[in-house]
Amino acid sequence: MAVLTGMLGPFVVQSRQSIASDMFAHVALAGIGGALLVGVGPWWGALPALIFVSTLIWWLLNSGRYSPDALAMFFLSGGLALALAFVHVAQDTVFSFENYLFGSILTLTFIDLVAILVSTSLVVVVVWYFWYPLLGATQSPRYLIPFRRTPQVVQLLFFWLLAIVVWVGIKTIGGLLIGALLVIPVLTARSWASSFKQLVVLSTLVSVFSVSLGLITALYVDLPPSSLIIGMAIGLFILQAVASSARRNKRV
Amino acid sequence: MRLQPHLLVMNNSVIKVNNVTKAVAGRRLLDDVSFEVAEQSLVSLIGPNGAGKSTLLKIILGLDTQFEGSIVIGSKERVQYIPQLSMTDEHQLPMSVYEYIAIATNRLYSKNKQNVDFKQALIHVGVSAEKLYQSYTSLSGGERQRVAIARALLGNPTILVLDEPLAAVDYASRSGLYELIRHLQQDHKMTVLLVSHDIDSVLPLSDQVLCLNTSLHTDCHPSQFVTEGGAGSRTIHHHC
Repeated sequence: MAVLTGMLGPFVVQSRQSIASDMFAHVALAGIGGALLVGVGPWWGALPALIFVSTLIWWLLNSGRYSPDALAMFFLSGGLALALAFVHVAQDTVFSFENYLFGSILTLTFIDLVAILVSTSLVVVVVWYFWYPLLGATQSPRYLIPFRRTPQVVQLLFFWLLAIVVWVGIKTIGGLLIGALLVIPVLTARSWASSFKQLVVLSTLVSVFSVSLGLITALYVDLPPSSLIIGMAIGLFILQAVASSARRNKRV
Repeated sequence: MRLQPHLLVMNNSVIKVNNVTKAVAGRRLLDDVSFEVAEQSLVSLIGPNGAGKSTLLKIILGLDTQFEGSIVIGSKERVQYIPQLSMTDEHQLPMSVYEYIAIATNRLYSKNKQNVDFKQALIHVGVSAEKLYQSYTSLSGGERQRVAIARALLGNPTILVLDEPLAAVDYASRSGLYELIRHLQQDHKMTVLLVSHDIDSVLPLSDQVLCLNTSLHTDCHPSQFVTEGGAGSRTIHHHC
């Protein structure tokens, strides 16, 4: 999870789609609710919902008729409303949204771990192979004229990758906290990098460090692991902000 | 000097703009604009802010499809576009010059070959090859524009479109940059269409100057200004 968010986070921040992770998380909840209705494992129901909605959002964005923030809010609140309705109709008294909102990393099964491993491998390979097209498509998709439709297609690929990361994230760190792990390590690393590749490596390191430190702390402190992980990420950001400020003052 | 209302028809044109009209919320941004751009020529599109220059450029490039009229560009033409550069984007994430160039070159050959090509492209536009691995944001406005031109040239274009190439460039670097564009246009036998509001800089280097202010007012050929002793430039300002 830390590798996934560290790797994809810089692309998310660069494309000004930071809020998209939150939107996808709410769409995932609708998928989970739908899965409850039809009697499928809730987490597995989130994946097709995420892929379908990410494709729909990509299509709507490319139509040029809707602004990204308006679409994000539309699907964010729509997803939550649908999720509540589905769960109410399913009348499952055992089910709790809390596991998916705030994660349940300590309750992962072997099958879950295999699915997460396969997803992580897939995302890493695709990002590695399409590195420069992804960089271009998230930086200025409309201005890469020579490839005509290619940047738009790569942008769809980017939305699918983000959907997969959110799908893994809702099971581990939680839907409401996945955005923090995508964005905060990038903000922490950006002033220490001079290239995008360096930024991705540093973001991944910050992300892995935050997750590791958060999980270790959870063994000794009676707090939810996801809260501790995000707390560590925020702590590292504050540390680097102070260090950056000191570095600037030293130069002056 | 009397400037004729513009409607040039050419046999060797590579871009044909036919009766293009665009309106947004009842306001006409472009009104029945028609012209042709000859092969291997340097054409400047000038006009004041809000004249519709960038709108017309987006329509020509296919970035804006909501308009009346038609645009004809040969299917074999390779178009490269250099948008107006911004020097004030504080939210831009770190990116090296290498990465900036690589995102627009869809080539799958070896990295060593790519390094050589990128360095040669930088030298070709007057930027030190050592800058290839430096941060893109550490470059000056003039250097960024030259790197953008280098990136475009790697796409081996037959048509190069530039939107306000001097917008983020300091005054001292301006003439050199336009001369570079002219030199590259002739060297690579490209057709260049550039948008500018700086007529004094573009006039001496252009084969054709089009004056746009919602509609196309004049065809301003530089040779006319040579014979008129520069009086034409004032006329163009008047029309715009």
